[in-house]
Amino acid sequence: MAILRKLVSGLKVLFRSGTAEKELDEELTDYFEEAVAAKVRAGAAPEQARREVTMEMGNMDSVKHEVRSVGWEFSIETLLRDVHYGLRMIRKSPAFASLSILAIAIGIGANTAIFSLVYGILLSPLPYPDSKRLVAVGLHERGEDTPHAMGVADFLAWRDQQQSFEHVAVFSAGYGSFDLSGLGTPETIPGVSVSADFFSTLGVSPMLGRGFLPGEDRPQSPPVAVISEEFWRNHLGSDPNVLNRSITLDGRPYTIVGVMPAQFRFPASKPLDVWTVRAFAPPVARPPYGLRAFGHLKPGVTVQAAKAELDACAARITQQYPNSPELVSTMVPLKQWMVQNVSTALLVLLGAISLVLLIAIVNVANLLLARASVRRGEIALRVALGASRWRIVRQLLTESVLLSSLGGILGLLLAYFSLRAFLAFGPGNMPRLEDVGINGAVLIFTCAICVGSGIVFGLAPALEASRGSVHDPLKAEKGNLSSQAARRTHNALIVSEVALALLLMIGSGLLIRSFLRLRDVDPGFRTDHLLTAVIALPRSYDKPPEIRAFWKEFLAKVEAMPGVSAAGISMSLPPNHLAITNPFTVEGQGYDRNRKLQLAEEMAVSPDYFRALGIPLVRGRWFTESDKVEQDNDPMIVVINETMAKQYFKGQDPVGKRLQTGDPDPKARWETIIGVVGDVKYQGLDAAPEPTLYVPYNENGWTLWSRGMYLVVRTPMEPQSVVPGLRAQLASMNKDMPLARVQTMDQLIEDSVVQEKFRTWLVSGFATIALLLAVIGIYAVISYGVAQQTREIGVRMALGASAADVLKMVLSHGLRLAAAGVALGLIGALAVTRILRSMLFSTSSTDFMSFVLTSVVLLAVALLACYIPALRATKVDPIVALRYE
Amino acid sequence: MPEKTAGLVQGTLDMLILKTLALEPMHGYGISLRIEQISKGVFQVNAGSLFPAFRRLERNGLVASEWQPTENNRRAKYYRLTELGRKKLKAETREWQTQTAAIARILEA
Repeated sequence: MAILRKLVSGLKVLFRSGTAEKELDEELTDYFEEAVAAKVRAGAAPEQARREVTMEMGNMDSVKHEVRSVGWEFSIETLLRDVHYGLRMIRKSPAFASLSILAIAIGIGANTAIFSLVYGILLSPLPYPDSKRLVAVGLHERGEDTPHAMGVADFLAWRDQQQSFEHVAVFSAGYGSFDLSGLGTPETIPGVSVSADFFSTLGVSPMLGRGFLPGEDRPQSPPVAVISEEFWRNHLGSDPNVLNRSITLDGRPYTIVGVMPAQFRFPASKPLDVWTVRAFAPPVARPPYGLRAFGHLKPGVTVQAAKAELDACAARITQQYPNSPELVSTMVPLKQWMVQNVSTALLVLLGAISLVLLIAIVNVANLLLARASVRRGEIALRVALGASRWRIVRQLLTESVLLSSLGGILGLLLAYFSLRAFLAFGPGNMPRLEDVGINGAVLIFTCAICVGSGIVFGLAPALEASRGSVHDPLKAEKGNLSSQAARRTHNALIVSEVALALLLMIGSGLLIRSFLRLRDVDPGFRTDHLLTAVIALPRSYDKPPEIRAFWKEFLAKVEAMPGVSAAGISMSLPPNHLAITNPFTVEGQGYDRNRKLQLAEEMAVSPDYFRALGIPLVRGRWFTESDKVEQDNDPMIVVINETMAKQYFKGQDPVGKRLQTGDPDPKARWETIIGVVGDVKYQGLDAAPEPTLYVPYNENGWTLWSRGMYLVVRTPMEPQSVVPGLRAQLASMNKDMPLARVQTMDQLIEDSVVQEKFRTWLVSGFATIALLLAVIGIYAVISYGVAQQTREIGVRMALGASAADVLKMVLSHGLRLAAAGVALGLIGALAVTRILRSMLFSTSSTDFMSFVLTSVVLLAVALLACYIPALRATKVDPIVALRYE
Repeated sequence: MPEKTAGLVQGTLDMLILKTLALEPMHGYGISLRIEQISKGVFQVNAGSLFPAFRRLERNGLVASEWQPTENNRRAKYYRLTELGRKKLKAETREWQTQTAAIARILEA
């Protein structure tokens, strides 16, 4: 009530200030007249009475000022007046103002854009109810540090026995795609198969229909699917009767039971079209480990308790499958698990861009400081007229916050457009991009850095300007030497600016070197003129002979195509599409269960895969069509890579040696090594070489695994030109089968490093801006110094100093500052670049070349920035300079 | 110019104004005159403190004002006590008496 009254009366004054002023005037006049009248009644002469009352009442204006300052609206009025005054000052010096506003706009805009990424991806809660209690769950061997997917046996036992979670669910770790047929041209759509509790664990429900029902993941349940809003719109014309319609995925009919709202795309980073429920048949073995698990903790249950429960459960499963390794659980917040790959990079970007903002702030502070000494006359006048120092500081701070706010508004526009560009063209494989946008939290952040930076860059100049006596500047408007203190502040600002810029440049230098090394990595084969695609056989191909027959015929047809020099298929594809790893035991190694698990990248391939990719043969031979491997008792053969040969067959010829795959078991079948090929990167260009095992796809045990394969086609022509022919060959064999994910190998390689490339570009961009800002800063300060020292230079020249002396004097001043900044920056870089370590590929975080090169570049550019004002100093005419006296 | 109001305890002026207005509505000069007279010239209230005090009291809803013709046939702003002001005065007076009595006891002890 009281607040409301104050608000209303304050507003009245603000909006009807004319009336309020008039009333106050009238009231004071009345008071004056009454007082005079009283004195006259008491016997004073009217003239005398007037004089006395005037003296008693004191300065009328200051009385009014006192009255006005009672209400809260007074501070608003002052602020408005200051803003008005500030705008006038900005208009009066457009060059200064636009330079500062631009610098701040770049700093704040880039900060806002990066912060909106950080907020959307790392800080904001997942858009699911009570998302804090969602945890990602993994099982892994003791001693390993990354949580792995779990197998069906572990999941089913855990799901049925656990008490810690409201719900637990899994999705296939190799989630990817389904072949859609029956709706126009067959195509591959992104999707994932999940357990029945998937949606209820997240706490989300479809916008139409229902999620999956408990029990729908039992082996005999009819197959059901939930589709995305986008799929519903684009493929089914937003059919209102979509529920219970049937779609064919991988050649199998699924009934649509629900439509998820737009934006929902868990667990993928890119939009998904379909979620199918997976039927869990009772497992025959513990592996394969292909399920990513997560759960919704019950209130009051700790992660530790939940972990202990799962560990106990996994231990029971280990007893059931005595050949399997002992597994322990990992639980991390679901959000953390989703964003783990990008969090370091994002925080580094945020750190880098805040350095850019700092440099911009230092720059503007420098400009303001230079102006502060120009404005000392004006300020001294205001002090002489009764303004307090606090009042002056407040006025100047209002001006600087005004500058930063104008910069902030421009920056917000900049952020909006750069964010849109990022979402459109940036790396699309980042998690949670759908949660990124300029929202309330981001706006608050922007406002805070606007006001904050305005105060930070305004404070030193404001204090400097309001310092000192009233008289000096008024007396000597021209020719006054800028104070020692101001010059020290200038120098300190320049040194810190150079140091910050160097820090960023070194960071970007390290990232560039690391990226160049990554690009130079030999993937182990010829990447040019190579086309890749995915072909998945529908479920109707369920017998090995059919599958073998299909591939044999298809590959023969493709290799007969004009312009195709070789074609092969593989379960895995370089540079980073590894499907599975498998434990192995080399003959003679024994079966010690405590031995560290040795894993090989294992993949089924066709004989011409090696030739198509151009993988060099080191020893022995490749697979051939005539290898007899298709019957159960045919001998098993493998090809290994050089790393495996070096690690496990030191100094011997591995060809003819034998090994076993799967969990260590003396009864497992022996496989004979027939050849050794060069190393190929299957786990990313930055991964260390791993042992690799190739097996023939038509080997009996592998054929059923070979329904979904990568196709690689080598052609002397432009790779995309063979696509129509490939599609025609495929359609001639089965009209419902799409040729999916058609890409050239060069594209795949490029895509595999897109995040590294992107952050390298971004940090380098930031470093360039930083360098530019620092150079502008040095230039401005040195120019300003020369202008201030005109008289001193004039005196020196009059006393016989040559132009070269003057040039040397100015340059050495600039160089001293730059060198101090570089020294400081190098020390800082040594201290902080280690945070980049996880992002650097075979590059030390204190890489000598990066440190030295960037320092030299910075010093050279700084010298150049000093050269122009130095040259101007040599043109000083002593006569003109001294005439000021 | 002697400034005796400087000796006034912070907030006391507000109380004196309220007390003066408790009898009848008055305009600014009347209030200052009354305070001076009743205090036998101990408190001389100058315009620089009086008018901000009016604005403050009005803002807090303790006094209300309206323009009325004066006995000299001019228009003047008359202040009167509101119900809230009356209550406040009562409370302040009681508080003041308690305090002065306590202070007196301490000084005489």
